[in-house]
Amino acid sequence: MRKALRWKAWPIIAVSAAVALAVPVIAHDGYVIQLLNIAILNAIVVIGLNFATGWAGQINFGQAAFYGLGAYTTAIATKAGLPWIVTPFLSVIVVVVASLILGLPTMRLRTYYLAMTTIGFGEIIRLMIVHWEPVTGGTSGLRAIPGISIFGIGPQGQIQHYYLLIATLGLAVLIALRVRNSVLGRAMIATKDSEIAAEQSGVDTTRTKLLAFMIGAIYAGLAGCLYASSIRFISPDSFSGTQAILLMTMLIIGGMGSIAGCVVGAVALTILPEALRFLGQWYLVLYGLGVVAVIVLAPGGLASLASQVQPRRARLR
Amino acid sequence: MTSEPIIAARGVTRRFGGLVALDSIDLDVPRGIVQAIIGPNGSGKTTLLNALSGASHADAGSIRIGGNEIFRLKPHRIARLGLARTFQTIRIFDNLSVIENVKVAAGCNMPTSLFNIIASNARQRQSEAAIDRNSREALEIVGLAGRANDHATQLPYAQQRLLEIARALASKPNVLLLDEPAAGMNMTESMTLLNTIARLKSSGITILLVEHNVRLVMGISDRVTVLDFGKKIAEGAPSEVQRNLLVIEAYLGRRHRHA
Repeated sequence: MRKALRWKAWPIIAVSAAVALAVPVIAHDGYVIQLLNIAILNAIVVIGLNFATGWAGQINFGQAAFYGLGAYTTAIATKAGLPWIVTPFLSVIVVVVASLILGLPTMRLRTYYLAMTTIGFGEIIRLMIVHWEPVTGGTSGLRAIPGISIFGIGPQGQIQHYYLLIATLGLAVLIALRVRNSVLGRAMIATKDSEIAAEQSGVDTTRTKLLAFMIGAIYAGLAGCLYASSIRFISPDSFSGTQAILLMTMLIIGGMGSIAGCVVGAVALTILPEALRFLGQWYLVLYGLGVVAVIVLAPGGLASLASQVQPRRARLR
Repeated sequence: MTSEPIIAARGVTRRFGGLVALDSIDLDVPRGIVQAIIGPNGSGKTTLLNALSGASHADAGSIRIGGNEIFRLKPHRIARLGLARTFQTIRIFDNLSVIENVKVAAGCNMPTSLFNIIASNARQRQSEAAIDRNSREALEIVGLAGRANDHATQLPYAQQRLLEIARALASKPNVLLLDEPAAGMNMTESMTLLNTIARLKSSGITILLVEHNVRLVMGISDRVTVLDFGKKIAEGAPSEVQRNLLVIEAYLGRRHRHA
């Protein structure tokens, strides 16, 4: 079965990889590449969100805050003179601690408590960033953040960053797929589908939800780390409650539970607002209609359209 | 029976507000038999199963499964001690394939670590292979092996019930609780189910069965426990229970005259 899956997935993987690698050749424009870089980072964050929300069924509005925690941890650490190589680890430690503080008390309860708690958490993090000005730069953010550098070697220019981020996204997808096809991934989906049946099948649902939430936070923290040191400018706006809702929308539009959907949703909703900038205020109308259309016509998200054409692709979920 | 019963419950009580759903029930189930719990609607059958499996804890009492006290233990801990169950209303995992539904339970006693999963190393592959093997075996037992890769929701109703049984078997339980397994099945499907239950019994699994269909119960059970209004009113071999006046009054009499 695994072999069959690989065999079927190969052409898709090959085509997506080819497109991804060819993009900088076609789009020389620095602005476009920068936008794509942000889209890739968002995709990693949304794949992270999918663990808790798409699979384990826990509504999480804290993902933007974890993204921000990773970014600010990295920015503050590197600006203070720490070598870049320690920042991914620092970011992971910060988000793991934060996710445990949030998750341990709430995961015993049912779905909506986590939603409420994470909304509050997002707001606390935003307020901390805005008001702790000497460290975080307040509303004007942090500029001139040192770039990625591993013992003096690091990507130069946006195209090199693009390739680095694409490789990271590839790794993020691979790990998510491995989790999906393991005891842990099945336990997450079982927990969402029927918590009581999962428990009676021997699944520790509290632990499973906590792990899903924590792995997702790690994805966001690491994406935040790469955001700070590849975009090199951060401000509270990028990690606000609005961003949290946007991340959730990317997941819903792309397709809850589908890794490919996460990537499609994130890329589409990062690029469309820029591509349709000429519409001015009308973009919001179009955006609203588009979201409603997807929810009504394809409740499983854009990814479900592909699996309707070819039902067996559902196995990639 | 010289050995300790595999289920030994004492004084199990469950209240819902003012209603006493289970009134100090004692229940012994000897190893390796099929025991049925019958009783009119609302007599506490499912409440008793829920108390045994931890789905909804008893308020008082002691429950020992295979010698371990499980009172107020979380359901997954009870499952890992070798007690599996199915549900009266089907609870399969809609977003998983047939075999993945079973794998959820097959993996319950497998050691996992996030590191092994991400590294996809030899240990991880071995444990996944073992889970796959156990799951296919369980599907084979209930006759669903041919549908392993289908989406669970594509199965017809009766087969979804069988899938629940396969999932329960995959955790290699010592005790299997079946909550109205024949509900919604036609005659042929019920007969196949009876054969499956008989096979499970001969493989050494103790089965505790809640069933509405009394005729079905009487044929397959070694012992029958009768509940009425949360109290145990009779217990014994099917033939004894059938002759018990209390039971006839509470349940069988009414039923049989109408039938």
